[in-house]
Amino acid sequence: MSLISRTPAPDGRRRRLRAVAVPALAAALAATTLAGCGGAGRGSDSDTVTMWTYPVIFDEAKNKAYWDGLVKAFEKQHTGIKVKVETFPWANRDTALATAIASGKGPDVVYLVPDQLPKYARNIVPAEEYMSKNARADYTDFALTSVTADGKTLGTPVLTSGNPLICDKRVFTAIGEQQYPGTWEDLARLAPRLKEKGYYATSYSGDTQQTLNLTFYPLLWQAGGDVFGKDDKKTAFADAAGVKALTYLKKLVDGGYTDRDMVTTTPKLEQTPVARGKVACTWQNTPADVEPFWGKANTVVLPPLKDVKSVGYGTVGALSLLKGGNTKAAGEWIDFVAEPANAAGLEKEAGYFPARRSAKDLYPGDPLQSAVSKTLPSMAAGPLAAKSREVMGLLGPEIQAALLGKKSPEDALRTAATAADAMLGR
Amino acid sequence: MAVVAEPGRRGRRSGPQARREARIGLLFVLPCFLLFLAFRFGPGIAGVLMSFTDYSLTGGGHFIGLDNFIRLWHDPLFWSSLKVTVLYTVMAVPGTLLASVALALLTRRAFRGAKLFRSVFFLPVVTSLVLAATVFVWIFSTGGPWATFVSWLGLSDSGWLGDDVFVLPALAIVGVWSRFGYGMLILLARMQDIPRELEEAALTDGAGPWQRFRYLVLPQLRPALFFLAVLETTSSFQVFDAIYTMTGGGPANASYTLVFQLYDAGFKYFDLGYAATIGVALFVLTLVVALVQRLVIGKDQ
Repeated sequence: MSLISRTPAPDGRRRRLRAVAVPALAAALAATTLAGCGGAGRGSDSDTVTMWTYPVIFDEAKNKAYWDGLVKAFEKQHTGIKVKVETFPWANRDTALATAIASGKGPDVVYLVPDQLPKYARNIVPAEEYMSKNARADYTDFALTSVTADGKTLGTPVLTSGNPLICDKRVFTAIGEQQYPGTWEDLARLAPRLKEKGYYATSYSGDTQQTLNLTFYPLLWQAGGDVFGKDDKKTAFADAAGVKALTYLKKLVDGGYTDRDMVTTTPKLEQTPVARGKVACTWQNTPADVEPFWGKANTVVLPPLKDVKSVGYGTVGALSLLKGGNTKAAGEWIDFVAEPANAAGLEKEAGYFPARRSAKDLYPGDPLQSAVSKTLPSMAAGPLAAKSREVMGLLGPEIQAALLGKKSPEDALRTAATAADAMLGR
Repeated sequence: MAVVAEPGRRGRRSGPQARREARIGLLFVLPCFLLFLAFRFGPGIAGVLMSFTDYSLTGGGHFIGLDNFIRLWHDPLFWSSLKVTVLYTVMAVPGTLLASVALALLTRRAFRGAKLFRSVFFLPVVTSLVLAATVFVWIFSTGGPWATFVSWLGLSDSGWLGDDVFVLPALAIVGVWSRFGYGMLILLARMQDIPRELEEAALTDGAGPWQRFRYLVLPQLRPALFFLAVLETTSSFQVFDAIYTMTGGGPANASYTLVFQLYDAGFKYFDLGYAATIGVALFVLTLVVALVQRLVIGKDQ
């Protein structure tokens, strides 16, 4: 201010110049700063297919090499189509994807798991529009049903995985037991002996940020129950099977047969009793998770536990085609990736399994992976109802309350069911 | 006298030259003002408008009138998270103010190392709360340092973060730890303005330390305390990062706050209309509390 007042009065020309230049400069600055808010959306006639994926192959270099190789092979076969694969971190992936879709900057193709599909259903082009009938017939029932909601296939499966029951051989040797558990009763019978020797029978993560697909739902399914009723308009988890499952779990916690701290917190795997070799069996980790801690020779893969039936949590990695892009080109890219020979690299590097029947055995001579592969037909990917996550958000804290002794299993499930049914009825 | 009484008017000029300079000044402020409109005021208004819709991140969005507000009123989770938020605020805000006053008093005088202590006490403010929270998870875990310390006092040595009664005090301690440095700095600045002669006169009159603080220092701190109370209350109402990292809202929703509910509604369930409604409720609550605080603490200022 003082500088301006000390400056000699400008002549008419300079004054006019300043009168024009200053607003122009200010407007230019404003326009430049606001320019970042806008941007071009995706065009349906674009010949570039963008795909968002995540570190399915944990090793960054191997992940890049796999996708680069696949893109090169595809572009060679499909002249005129360019593919751009971007790998994002797993953390906060839904926030990033949903906001990108909302602002018209989403990818053409994205890697999703069944748990995510209902939320994006309205943005997804059903696979029926680009998947050939022959290819469709080749998928395993588990792979296809896991990505199908309301009669629409919301993604093209490219891999499958399962969480069978896995037991630590060293723990069983330590208590002099040679028989591994197959049922709830077997595990409950072993629990006091394990505790006596300083071991937990199992590990249960009750942290509400953890998906119930991996924790409580397998028990619910094993007891013969389900999360939703037939039409997804009402919940079913508070029935006798649900109460039985939660009561069983509560007995494990109350008896000290599982680490009570894990009911509320989820430490890093290496800090858990599982990694420290203090847990007999778990269904919340995969053999690949525990192998570095237990060793391959000590990892015993078994079918999921059974009460009424033997069922565990498994998931499917799928590529979904989002609306608004070049459907034809993106569909061709998805079909290309999903071909058994092309998906094999992804599946094998990440330690997962094929989604198609015609795929060859990826792990010949690997007894551990072969054993997991045999359990895949017993897996379920969890409910695909539109409000599955909201229901989980209501049920998780109530399960925690029951396990901490604040409520009975019946009360906890009833409270969650009442709130969830009211939400589903809206 | 008029010049002394109105120092702000001394340099003020009128006339075409001054008006032109003012216009130029305003034009240079324009980019910043537009940014403020675009990223602060605009989203605020958009948030209020969104609360009347069923807008979802993945598409849709229809005007639904007051449905979201009616839903909020009948949502037990909203009342539970409001209760948690208020309880947290009741613990964290007085705690922060007390710690700020205490440490400002301790470090107000120039003694050897005073600057070092001030800097050390300010460090938590510039430390990432997410990083610090990871350390606090260990501190409050079963058998951790805090559990061991309280077990000497006869309390259980189980972790506080897994206990539905102690989880909020634990989070409030973290909140106080992360915020008191800023309050200390504000109060310290205010304390430096208190004439030394006043305290010396009080000392001569035989006033003890408590009397000097109660009748001399505290009244002088009142405007700064009001400012801090409003700021800390707003910040406590918005607590999220430490809770997200340390408890995830648990156990059994015992640390599930309003902002956590807003986050879940918006970014976990993509129900942005409802998330905006929670945001509006939060804004109204913060405003009401600030007005009440003004009546109680800052009525003279």
